[in-house]
Amino acid sequence: MDALAFGLPQLFMALSGVVIGIVFGALPGMTATMAIAIFLPLTYAYDMNMSLYLLLGLYVGGISGGLIPAILINIPGTPSSICTGFDGYPMAKRGEGLRALRVGITASLFGGLISLACLWFFTPPLAKVAINFSAIEKFLIILFALTIIAALSKGAMTKGIFAGFLGVLVSLIGQFNDNNKLRMVPKLFRVDLRMGFQLLPVLIGLFALVQIFQEAESGMVEEHQRMDLDHETMGFNFRRDFKGQWFNVLRSGIIGTFVGVLPGVGGSAASLLSYSQAKSMSKHPEKFGTGLVDGLIASEGSNNGLTGGALIPLLSLGIPGDSTTAVLIGAFMLQGIQVGPLFITNNPQIWQTILMALLVSNILMFIVMFYPIKHVVKIINFPKTRIYPVIILLCTVGAYATQNGNMFDVWAMFAFGLFGFVLAKFGISIPSFLIGFILGGDLEQYFVDSIKGSGGSLSVFFARPIGNVIWVLILISLGYAFWDEWRSSRKVKRGDR
Amino acid sequence: MLRVNYKPSTSHWLFPPMIMWILAIMLVIMAIERAVKCKKSGKPFFNLKGYRFFIENWDKVKLVGTIVLMVLYFPSMNLIGFLPASIIFIFLFNVLFVGVSQLASIAVAFKTKKFWSNPDFRSLVISLIISVVSSTIIWFLFGQVFKITLP
Repeated sequence: MDALAFGLPQLFMALSGVVIGIVFGALPGMTATMAIAIFLPLTYAYDMNMSLYLLLGLYVGGISGGLIPAILINIPGTPSSICTGFDGYPMAKRGEGLRALRVGITASLFGGLISLACLWFFTPPLAKVAINFSAIEKFLIILFALTIIAALSKGAMTKGIFAGFLGVLVSLIGQFNDNNKLRMVPKLFRVDLRMGFQLLPVLIGLFALVQIFQEAESGMVEEHQRMDLDHETMGFNFRRDFKGQWFNVLRSGIIGTFVGVLPGVGGSAASLLSYSQAKSMSKHPEKFGTGLVDGLIASEGSNNGLTGGALIPLLSLGIPGDSTTAVLIGAFMLQGIQVGPLFITNNPQIWQTILMALLVSNILMFIVMFYPIKHVVKIINFPKTRIYPVIILLCTVGAYATQNGNMFDVWAMFAFGLFGFVLAKFGISIPSFLIGFILGGDLEQYFVDSIKGSGGSLSVFFARPIGNVIWVLILISLGYAFWDEWRSSRKVKRGDR
Repeated sequence: MLRVNYKPSTSHWLFPPMIMWILAIMLVIMAIERAVKCKKSGKPFFNLKGYRFFIENWDKVKLVGTIVLMVLYFPSMNLIGFLPASIIFIFLFNVLFVGVSQLASIAVAFKTKKFWSNPDFRSLVISLIISVVSSTIIWFLFGQVFKITLP
């Protein structure tokens, strides 16, 4: 087995990733997904090993940085820290800002480590099961992923399914590899769109430009906040603050990991689910929202739990768990590496690098944020108006580099930025669209391969036992989606009355 | 038994129509959902009168300006080169996002001979510094160090 390459260069890459990620996470509107999308082109310059340290550092830093504005100004820096401010902000208001930040950072570290352990433990056996999958099961697994998106698109099930299949349709534009014939390509773009839309311009457009357009629409108002962290009424004490919290920490990390595994489910769901669980199982639920450490730990432990969880389906099945890991697929594609059941067997060194990079990134995140937190919090006053122009520059460079210099990709990025802006206006989920776009090509290939083997009979999709189990899962997820939609509409009705 | 007609020569058109059908069905379902919702709430199906695509009080200058500047920026890189085009446009994006009203400070600053003490003029200088420094660093780092193809 190849030795695991880890040294100062890798440490530096991870540190750079964590620091930049924290900046992106701490600035409301900017996300870890955006950071990874923008820095993805750098993977051209490095091998996979070095790139992973940078990208996973960005991922962990981006998720963790969101707690700073959530606690200090009650605006979550990332959707995954949506519940952090519920208890973090009241703590900051009563002069326990630094304590709240350090509790959140420590919970983030534990959440990240728990999810890392789950990733290490569950991915290889899941991949071993998936190795036996034929094209039929692979097709059904992707279909299952698309139905899960629908099941968890709270109150917008049909829009969730629509977004996923729209992404699939857009991914089919271009040449079909089986017979090398083009479809859905206007004559004018026969050369540029021969291989379809490239992933990188699409995701930069959807995750960076859409954000810039939305900020421009709202006027890019800067919200400079004064934070008084010099007059602390109570400091952080690990023994006191984490006494009796171990079950909460473990539960939150596991909830975050589980939510991360489900495709298309945002970090906000992990935070909300974990927070509500902590509240319902607490002996004093009435104190939640008043500045209770329990709620803060639940939110922060779960959102960092996402990081490892979202990588489990990516590395074992080739299905991204969230929008950030969907972007990570781009990194693997750029290096010519196929993620899926054979990933660990064929790339043992990269698999170990992923585990190592996640571990190092979590530890670095803790060191970078915990000790100098008084200085780190100043990030939230970085003016967005000065950062966005540089991001536009980075986006352009990234899109152009996708096919080693093609202006069409820059225009594609711009077009998808506008397209995503319009999608968001109609409440159509952009992450669902992206997951459909990423999985669409495989979905078609597995469908056609299955049909080829059966001579055109669709009954082949019901002929294998594992396939039938996946059908049952699909029906359960759709059933849940309908039930949840019905329940939500009833709640709205009751609210109206 | 359900069958599809598989021919290698036309297999590229086997799957896309299925997805189009699913999308069409989803659109119909969404329309029915909306119709039911509108009927229950007594609102018309097409309510163009109160319809608002953009948010209330949207910043027309910044949004339209961003789109226009991008449309001009991309081809300008081919015309005048990556570095000069980026310096010019990153400066313009800075000015647009911070506020175009600061442009008026140029005349005032030269008239009063007060440059750095004029906050708007200072902001313009900062915009210029950011555009020069960021464009040069990205050009050097990506283009020269990492050998990534730049426009």
